[in-house]
Amino acid sequence: MAFRVFLGWCFFLPGLLGHGQQPDCDCTVRGRVVERVTGQPVAGAIIYVRGGNSNTFSDSLGNYTLGNLCQGRYRLVCQLIGFDPVEVRIDLVHVLEQNVTLRENDVHLQNVVVTARRTQTTAQARAELSGDALDRTRGQSLGEALKAVTGVTSLQTGSTISKPVIHGLHSNRVLILNNGIRQEGQQWGAEHAPEVDPFVAKKITVLKGAAGVRYGADALGGVVLVEPDPLPDSSGIAGEVNLVGFSNGRQGVASGLVQGGFQNGFGWRAQGTLKRGGEVSTATYRLVNTGIREANFSLAAGYRTRRAGVDGYFSQFNTLLGIFSGSHIGSTTDLNVALQSPRPRPEYTPDQFSYRIDRPHQDVRHNLAKLRAFWRPATQGTVTLTLARQYNYRAEYDISLRNTTFQQRFRLTTYTGELLWEHSRVWKKVTGSLGLTGLLQTNLSTGQVLSLPLNRTVLIPNFRQWTSGIFAIERLVTRRWELEAGLRYDTRHLQTFQKTLTIASSNEVTETNRFNHTISGTVGAIYTLREGLTFRFHAGSAWRPPNVSELYSEGVHHGSATYEEGDAQLQPETAWNTALTANYAGKRTALELNLYRNFIQNYMYLSPQESVRLTVRGAFPYFKYTQVDATFRGFDASASVLLTPRLTLTSKYAFLRVRDVRNDRFLVNIPANRWENSLRYEFPNRAYLSLGHLLVARQTRVEPGSDFAPPPPAYWLWNASTGIILPVAGHSLNLNLDVSNLFNVAYREYLNRFRYFANDLGRNASLRAKWSF
Amino acid sequence: MMPTKRSRILVLLLTAAVAVTSCKKNEEEPVEPNELITTVTLTFTEVGMTTSRTVTWKDADGDGGAAPTVGKLSLSPNKTYALSVAILDESKSPASNVGEEVAAEKDEHLIVYTPTPANLLTVTITDKDSRTLPVVLSATAVTTAAGTGKLQVVLRHQPPVGGKDVKDGTPGPGSTDFDGTFEVEIK
Repeated sequence: MAFRVFLGWCFFLPGLLGHGQQPDCDCTVRGRVVERVTGQPVAGAIIYVRGGNSNTFSDSLGNYTLGNLCQGRYRLVCQLIGFDPVEVRIDLVHVLEQNVTLRENDVHLQNVVVTARRTQTTAQARAELSGDALDRTRGQSLGEALKAVTGVTSLQTGSTISKPVIHGLHSNRVLILNNGIRQEGQQWGAEHAPEVDPFVAKKITVLKGAAGVRYGADALGGVVLVEPDPLPDSSGIAGEVNLVGFSNGRQGVASGLVQGGFQNGFGWRAQGTLKRGGEVSTATYRLVNTGIREANFSLAAGYRTRRAGVDGYFSQFNTLLGIFSGSHIGSTTDLNVALQSPRPRPEYTPDQFSYRIDRPHQDVRHNLAKLRAFWRPATQGTVTLTLARQYNYRAEYDISLRNTTFQQRFRLTTYTGELLWEHSRVWKKVTGSLGLTGLLQTNLSTGQVLSLPLNRTVLIPNFRQWTSGIFAIERLVTRRWELEAGLRYDTRHLQTFQKTLTIASSNEVTETNRFNHTISGTVGAIYTLREGLTFRFHAGSAWRPPNVSELYSEGVHHGSATYEEGDAQLQPETAWNTALTANYAGKRTALELNLYRNFIQNYMYLSPQESVRLTVRGAFPYFKYTQVDATFRGFDASASVLLTPRLTLTSKYAFLRVRDVRNDRFLVNIPANRWENSLRYEFPNRAYLSLGHLLVARQTRVEPGSDFAPPPPAYWLWNASTGIILPVAGHSLNLNLDVSNLFNVAYREYLNRFRYFANDLGRNASLRAKWSF
Repeated sequence: MMPTKRSRILVLLLTAAVAVTSCKKNEEEPVEPNELITTVTLTFTEVGMTTSRTVTWKDADGDGGAAPTVGKLSLSPNKTYALSVAILDESKSPASNVGEEVAAEKDEHLIVYTPTPANLLTVTITDKDSRTLPVVLSATAVTTAAGTGKLQVVLRHQPPVGGKDVKDGTPGPGSTDFDGTFEVEIK
């Protein structure tokens, strides 16, 4: 909503000039805006006189003053989104005290406001993908789509598997909230992509830095919030259809959404996505077995009144991912052969295109069922209860002797619950929330009974874990300052069941129990120097207890030709994150600078060891999970300048330095600095043309011997895009053509685990159509 | 006011998508995958004799745990031996014969013998797969002068890629299923 503030001194209203004299234009109307039921002051409501051109807003105490009005009769209007507008007749002579009572309206728009405020309630650096920016990523996986955010890159395993990396941290150190529920898949694996359909989201928000107080364990590097729109609250049916085609891999994606509602507060939505892609090509050759299939849907329905509501949600994500056959290596000799060849063997780079998916491949399903209920009593704020069940099924099929079944399979069932009380304003300025959370999770890697594992050669043992947390976050809002502070206490109990011996006939099981607990805290401040210029300071901590793979993994990791060993003595790691963000939004320029330092105490990582381990496939380099203290320091900068009213230049830069400060060494697999620029021209007819490039530097800060191959050289990629919005039968049709890697450059990305085997993707043209009705 | 016909079509499409996706995964428990090679035994039988010499590479508990035990091979100079290979998974009881499965899938397997120094031993193939490419589960080994060295034995798995056969008789294609090296003494 755009409010224009016109500040006038004395002005004349033509209709009031009937007196024929100079009217007294020094009059003032003032008062207080309060909510009808609670009597609480309402801030931010606009107050103006009908027909006049002067207006004001109520302050945080609900007070307003509208001055320099001429004597006379007016109609005073007070409005705020989520409330019914109020119009009062006033007879103005000198000073008038006029209090206004607003009533929350029955159109359930206030829930939109509540959602928006909740995510605003943080001094953390945040970035949002929505609207056009989100539309331009349609068809891509979540990890790829998030690359549009400065400071976010992705950890890839070939073209089909992509995980978000925020400020150099990923996997278990980045939390994904899918529709408000923490996504629980097998995040520990670098080749386990998030099981989320980005088409579910109307908005994807990235919170950068530790956010442990609100979101609990694992939120060390950041949080990704995948959020659909609120359910419709007006009658009628609406929806959209998205079609995307990619030239590389001849991939097609179709996604549809229909939603409807009734005036009585009932709303529903159904959404589904189908994706099919074949073998992708690098600049010069095709990669065998790199196809993908995906089929997802989600259903939601809810009923709400002003005081209470309930909604249910179910989603299912299914994917079948081919993994480049040339990456299947059995021994270090195989890896060395691959590293020394400039291109993969001919059988891995076929001339004939195919949609076929052979071994190795992954077969993944994720179900999410969620029930949320809220209750908003007259004066105490809002109480929300959210319950969810997730089931994650992952089967990994490798090339093996008999090819009859999978090599690894994980079945992870997670129950989560959260009780949140967002209390109403106290002492006029303080808002906040108090929450209780709990999680119960069981993982079945082998056998049908948790405590009876049948097989020792599984990557992670069967386990069960319980976590609980309690937190409070309070927030004080004044005219220029917004201050927040929070505290949280978490516990985790982990129970594992591992077969003691490899021998099949032995039924001996080793059970272990671990208990960890910790306190996390956060403080933050937002200072608005003047309109458009804001400073945010945020300091927060987050913790992460070691996961089962870090504790108990043992054996050869075939994707990377390393012998990996866990350490049962590992202690939880803690992130201490500080960040300073400056935002400026002017008429022609928008700037953002985010400086951060994330100190991670007891940072767990796979550290190369001196010795090798002899196995049935020869000797493998030996890596062991080790703890160090690490600092992640860097900044994200972005600038957007309106060169002419139609031409915009956008530039983004992400810089990161990482150091193991305990041993004074560099850490491995840290994203290199990147610089991105784009020029966009908007035509008068809702069309645009844009040209951009991305420069990814070479990662030079690596320790010798920490990796099989040196980081690949820096690369430049160019991209071009054009689009138009056409009115079709009263609705809008959005067309978009995008070409990435325009000049078909052959390159390898340091954070793609397949850089040992093959080049990255070549030119890819994509055509998107979105029809909203 | 909304185009209900189109919406209805869309609802139908979505329902179809749901139906297509919702009943796919095969949830029943297949045989637990536990493919393991724990033991490789080479048997050298002097031509015309019945006594034989064996050497074994064994890692009974698989990767990790106890280190593998690797035997030492002792052969006589200037002799011709019939060489055969046994590959077992002894973590199962009874032990599973992986060698039989390799033989059954001989079109996808190749065993490569690399003596160092190269003149320590000469290994000649005696078995062929259906495309007359070597498998080398059996071979002849000829010794010459006395000496010491090493013999590396590599089992290559070379299954078709993208539906096309890749085995060509060379070690190049595929990946390694077993890689062990024995000390050899010829005296």
